[in-house]
Amino acid sequence: MIDPATILFTLIGLAIILIALLVIWPSITATRGGKILAFLALFILPVLCAAVGAAEHLERSKQTHFCLSCHIMEPYGKSLYVDDPTYLAAAHFQNHRVPPDQACYTCHTDYVLYGGFKAKLRGLRHVYVQYLGTLAKPIHLYSPYNNRECLHCHAGARSFEEGAVHNTDPQLLPAVKANKLSCLSGGCHEIAHNVAQVDHVKFWKRPE
Amino acid sequence: MPNGSSIERRLQLSGILLVLALVVEAMSLAWVHPAAFLFFLVAGGVLMAAGILVYLYSLLPAGSSSN
Repeated sequence: MIDPATILFTLIGLAIILIALLVIWPSITATRGGKILAFLALFILPVLCAAVGAAEHLERSKQTHFCLSCHIMEPYGKSLYVDDPTYLAAAHFQNHRVPPDQACYTCHTDYVLYGGFKAKLRGLRHVYVQYLGTLAKPIHLYSPYNNRECLHCHAGARSFEEGAVHNTDPQLLPAVKANKLSCLSGGCHEIAHNVAQVDHVKFWKRPE
Repeated sequence: MPNGSSIERRLQLSGILLVLALVVEAMSLAWVHPAAFLFFLVAGGVLMAAGILVYLYSLLPAGSSSN
């Protein structure tokens, strides 16, 4: 399968060549064929390149590397390598419970209609705050983490539904599924990133 | 009617703006960072919009604005 970036760079190259022809010999637009070429080169291809380019940028914004490229996210990136299974983000990342190359996006998108779109709008807000706003210290989520994002994968899974701890109290699982009791509650999966302690813990080294 | 050379000049200007926009787009894709997205959106978007508008303007007959 051809990589979308390859298609995009091919389109950009083709558009540049056709536009260069028109810039060097603008008189060719006097003919009907020249007018069609101009419409293609100066309108259709640039709009197509912009649309495919925007889609490619949005796709790249899902990458773990993209999220961690801002300095403020550095400790969150380090927390993915903590050598402690009680660290929720690290356990998911290291055991490939989420795709490692899209780890942040997988857990922090909204699994609802237009959730991906909302996540991208939030991403634009992050970019605005990063460059033009005031960064909160420490940074925090705009809204409390919703169990729906965990349940997107875990609901129906045997380890989740039949897990001994999850079934100690018959009210627990219904409360979790109704988002009345957070998965991140104290005594449950309370350690997500714990960036305050990230410089005082042991790290896992990914094998080469 | 605008003469042939003025239309050609507008087409050339449009072409130059669009080539710059496409170069900006290609450069922004070489870098995975939020700033690259902004570069694509702001610099690339402005150049592309300007290039397309100049092209569309070159299609207008000269008399349409004076009416």
